[in-house]
Amino acid sequence: MKLTTTLAVGTALSLFASTAFAYDADWKRGRVYYRSVCTSCHVTQPVGTINPSSKTKAEWAAYVKADKHGKGKETVKQYVSKTYRESIKSGNKAAEKFIAVPETELLADIQLFLQRGAKDGEAPASCN
Amino acid sequence: MRHSFTRAALMLCSAGWLAATGPVFADEAKPEAKPLKLTTTADHTKFKQLQKTFNSGPEVTKACLECHTEAAGQIHRTKHWKWEYLNPDTKQTLGKKTVVNNFCISVASNEAACNSCHIGYGWKDASFDFKSEENVDCLACHDTTGNYKKPSGLAGNVVTKDMEFPPGSGKVLKAIDLSKIAQKVGKSSRDTCGACHFFGGGGDGVKHGDLDSSMSAPEKELDVHMDATGLDFSCGTCHKTSSHDVAGSRYTPTAKDSKGAHVRGKADNGNPATCVACHSNAPHKKEARLNQHATKIACQTCHIPSFARGGIPTKMTWDWSTAGQLDANGKQITKKDAKGRIIYESRKGDFTLGENVKPEYVWFNGNVTYTLITDKVEKSDQRTPINKIGGSPTDGKSMIWPMKVFRGSQPYDPVNKTLVTPHTAGNDDTGYWKNLNWDKAIAVGMNTSGHPFSGKIDFIKTEMSWPINHMVAPKEKALGCVECHSKDSRLAGIKGVYIPVRDNNKLLDTAGWAIVLLTLLGVLGHGAMRIVTARRH
Repeated sequence: MKLTTTLAVGTALSLFASTAFAYDADWKRGRVYYRSVCTSCHVTQPVGTINPSSKTKAEWAAYVKADKHGKGKETVKQYVSKTYRESIKSGNKAAEKFIAVPETELLADIQLFLQRGAKDGEAPASCN
Repeated sequence: MRHSFTRAALMLCSAGWLAATGPVFADEAKPEAKPLKLTTTADHTKFKQLQKTFNSGPEVTKACLECHTEAAGQIHRTKHWKWEYLNPDTKQTLGKKTVVNNFCISVASNEAACNSCHIGYGWKDASFDFKSEENVDCLACHDTTGNYKKPSGLAGNVVTKDMEFPPGSGKVLKAIDLSKIAQKVGKSSRDTCGACHFFGGGGDGVKHGDLDSSMSAPEKELDVHMDATGLDFSCGTCHKTSSHDVAGSRYTPTAKDSKGAHVRGKADNGNPATCVACHSNAPHKKEARLNQHATKIACQTCHIPSFARGGIPTKMTWDWSTAGQLDANGKQITKKDAKGRIIYESRKGDFTLGENVKPEYVWFNGNVTYTLITDKVEKSDQRTPINKIGGSPTDGKSMIWPMKVFRGSQPYDPVNKTLVTPHTAGNDDTGYWKNLNWDKAIAVGMNTSGHPFSGKIDFIKTEMSWPINHMVAPKEKALGCVECHSKDSRLAGIKGVYIPVRDNNKLLDTAGWAIVLLTLLGVLGHGAMRIVTARRH
């Protein structure tokens, strides 16, 4: 009985955790950040712009999960971090506008935009 | 044993907890507050009416109307629903249902294709029930997921089960999840309005010139109001909607707004979608002289230096008379320019495209008279205007406005001397885009629109003017003086007003400067004589 109760409470806690903190990602905010921060930097780098539609949904999911940027020298997350946004906000309006957005939310926004804009997504997207 | 199992179970649950919250706690020093939606007062995921599987659009509408009881009735009164509008000044019956243009020409007989942009479900022919509340499409304007799609050819209906379309084509239309979409409804946005208005005329940016998909999340350079990282206006910010009726129609535009900035509580504020409605009639605070310009020149003239600036070209001409060419194997052909953009299609004819296009300028008083299917047209060297833009320098109501002037050649009936409404779209034997047969296409189209057709076909040159309102540049990028005040002025075609430099006369200028020089010499001479005379005394 005790074990059953413990398991039930534990399961409920887990479910609560996943719903209480469930974030409803905003693909439009992800679109603005991707285009204004990611693309604006990539334009000037040797690698050039990367259209969301250049990869499939699975490829984007794997890329974000691997969290490797610049061939593994850095993480993807660091470019979404508040620290990074703070560092570029004087010259980047998107970073300034979204400065208070939690990193997890912004990353989820970008992920959703990339899933929608992927080659096999609902709305294959370019960089502009 | 039992104790250790309990501990293991607790650890497992704790792991579950951590897995769920891990990223939050790992990335943030302290737990985030529960996300709160600030853009709406209702979380539609919580409504039982929407927590079900929907097999059609009308089923969703039925659920919406359980709470929003008056919404469909309000929609029924609007142009967006009726596609019909009686212009009170010209008494012409307009609206998409009636007008003819020089892009895809007309809706009649092409409803199944065109009406994917109607805010209703199932308008495939004249039998459509305009009084049905369930036929109203709430999601077209209120979707926030971006996943709501109304494929062309389905009369505005949505796909809820994967289907091959057109039948036998091997192309599969993917089903959309109406439940998920319905649970995330919200305010209309640039994306929802743009789903139709960015793609008018059959493709991205084709029709308007100042509206295309680059406006869905534009930078400040492209549109200072809609700038996604700045003011972030939606369409509805200016096109302020009342009882679902969207203000700012191009059938009766406000060319000159003398009513000043809108004030809350004022009974007659007029059109909220004008520049003046926010900026007033004297918007230039530092350069008062520019406010004098603003009495004759529309704001758009200086503040929208060019259109199609977002990297997406707009169509500038369309020649239907060259349609119908086939390759050696009898197949339809497509030609592209150096940039890979389509400039010829067998089913449509030749196009030219433009980017960063300088508008043409005209005196405009807000009166627009359409050439309708019932009006007589005469083939001549002059282009037939699809819409006549009213205005003159002396009527006191006109301003100098920027226009996209779209020129084309389209089929007409040389015996009855009318424009025609061909049946173009459709997977049937008479659809021009499939069989390239004008005789069949026009006969069916004219029969559907209910107008006589002699059976003779010719092509007539037409032009249609589109007032430019969007893609407002930052003030630093507004036109400089020399753009108009020069010999190659943008306003070269504007008559009835004296524009310094553009209109100067060399002889008059020489005489004027001679007078100035003589006056100066006279003053200097007089002064010198006064000095000399004074010394003598």
